[in-house]
Amino acid sequence: MDYFLLVIGAIFVNNIVLAQYLGNCPFIGTSKETGVAIGMGFAVVFVATMAATITWLVQKNLLAPNDLGYLQTIAFILVIASLVQFVEIFLKKMVPPLYNSLGIFLPLITTNCAVLGIAIICQREEFTLVQTVVYSIASGAGFMLALVVLASIRERLDMVRIPIALRGTPMALIMAGLMSLAFFAFKGMAA
Amino acid sequence: MSTLWKEFSKGLWRDLPPFRLVLGLCPVLAVTKTADNGLGMGLAVIFVLTLSNVFVSLLRNIIPSKVRIACFIVIAASLVVCVELLMQAFAYPLYQQLGIFVPLIVVNCIILGRAEAFASKNTVLMSTADGLGLGIGFALSLTFLGALRETFGYGTLFGKSVMWSGFEPFTFMIEAPGAFVCLGLVLAAMNALTNWQRGVKGLEAVEGPKHDCKACGMCNTPLK
Amino acid sequence: MMEMIRMVLVLSLICGASGFTLATIRDATAQRVEEQELTYVQGPALNQIFSDIDNNPVKDRARIADAQGQEHIVFPARKDGKLVGVAFQSFGKGFGGDLGIMVGFAVDQGGKNELAGIGVTTMKETPGVGTRITEGDFRNQFVSHPLDDVALKSGGGDIAAVSGATVSSTGAVAAVNHAIKTFNEIKDKIPSEFGS
Repeated sequence: MDYFLLVIGAIFVNNIVLAQYLGNCPFIGTSKETGVAIGMGFAVVFVATMAATITWLVQKNLLAPNDLGYLQTIAFILVIASLVQFVEIFLKKMVPPLYNSLGIFLPLITTNCAVLGIAIICQREEFTLVQTVVYSIASGAGFMLALVVLASIRERLDMVRIPIALRGTPMALIMAGLMSLAFFAFKGMAA
Repeated sequence: MSTLWKEFSKGLWRDLPPFRLVLGLCPVLAVTKTADNGLGMGLAVIFVLTLSNVFVSLLRNIIPSKVRIACFIVIAASLVVCVELLMQAFAYPLYQQLGIFVPLIVVNCIILGRAEAFASKNTVLMSTADGLGLGIGFALSLTFLGALRETFGYGTLFGKSVMWSGFEPFTFMIEAPGAFVCLGLVLAAMNALTNWQRGVKGLEAVEGPKHDCKACGMCNTPLK
Repeated sequence: MMEMIRMVLVLSLICGASGFTLATIRDATAQRVEEQELTYVQGPALNQIFSDIDNNPVKDRARIADAQGQEHIVFPARKDGKLVGVAFQSFGKGFGGDLGIMVGFAVDQGGKNELAGIGVTTMKETPGVGTRITEGDFRNQFVSHPLDDVALKSGGGDIAAVSGATVSSTGAVAAVNHAIKTFNEIKDKIPSEFGS
């Protein structure tokens, strides 16, 4: 039951993009086509889960026992950067079809604040390892949901006439705001 | 001297980070509930961006190109940890307000983007001007957006009441949906301004800057 | 080969320099950071408990070990130079994780002590339900309460739980009882630390 609430909370109530403001650059940048959005979404779920798990282990086994908590940021970003490199090499060698579909998104993920953000949130909320895994998968899924929905809205927007000043990013942001308003309703349900 | 001024001033208008380059959106949306928070975040970014540009530029001839990204990340992350410690020691309430977005400065694409696209190719003086200019532009934009949202959302500005007495705060503005819509409208206003200027010169109206991650220079990945 | 050595060398040099700098800054700021943290996290709870005092409890704090040798950060409250109370933090199990409660004790010269009040320092309770333990209606029940028989009405005591938030209320009461146990172990050391 607890895990169920954690998952619902991470996907709908506290959606990582629409309520917690994380990962906005790729959210706006890769939401022009549904296909691209799905690829990016899967890449984030995959990397965020691995990153949160590994950083959890690093924090609990390396940083906390040695009183190095203040180095959290630097340790986490290095773990994520090398993880992304490693995943890229691994996929290229071992699973080429997956690399062809996800590969181009991987370099974007090092500077995706959703990944580092999820890892840090798991520490600040003092999650256990299992909670960390569940939360990071759910948050990644929440990111993917928001991204795919926005992409399908934007595909339809291509067919309508919009004032020239609003075209592109401004319109995408306003659409994201309206989506965020819809997700905001889940907050009322949770309370 | 004139080139130095050019590098500095481009960050204040032509390449204004969040509104023109559309970079580093997360803190722009997240910490602009009030003008104070926006300004605090902006100052932290000025510090990290300028010093990261200085160090990258100083070390640009020593750093081997294969590990350059790793070196940039170490430099940026160290500066961020530095900011975290200083903020905890001297501005704890601000640290509480900004929360998770202080450590997240390290993944703000402006920092690594400028290191890769500018500081690793230019002299220390030029890189300082570039970092300061873009940093100040970023800070001013955050403060502006924060002031806008605070005025309508709370009826205050920098904590002081500015609206008439019967003013009903427009709570939408301080919540997440308001952040997105507000930034969207500011970007549209910037585009409209550009098009008006072009119209005066007799040029055709154009669409605003495209947001694709290429702008940050980190990823040369061709995304459609 | 040379290239390889150079890469490793440069990276380790940069990491070393950054590690050294950060450790220095950390050492220089550690004391200030601790004080700031206590002022802004525990300070508001302390202000709720002791409203009429004229010292800065965070500044005058001391570490006192209990019977198990575990150290507690104890905050003294003074009025006109006289010690009127002490407070320290204690934890109970809330609905959303650990519940941090600052428990204040009024120190009476005659040797009779009572609770001065409680304040909530950290919690992750449900907004609007469990968070109501921070409101006066619940907290004021502890003001001037004797040190024994602190229990909810359902457990035979006289503390009314916040309706709908039994877990949070139970956690708070558990934290208070835990603090009373600690207080009884450390009360003899209080005069020597803070005077009277």
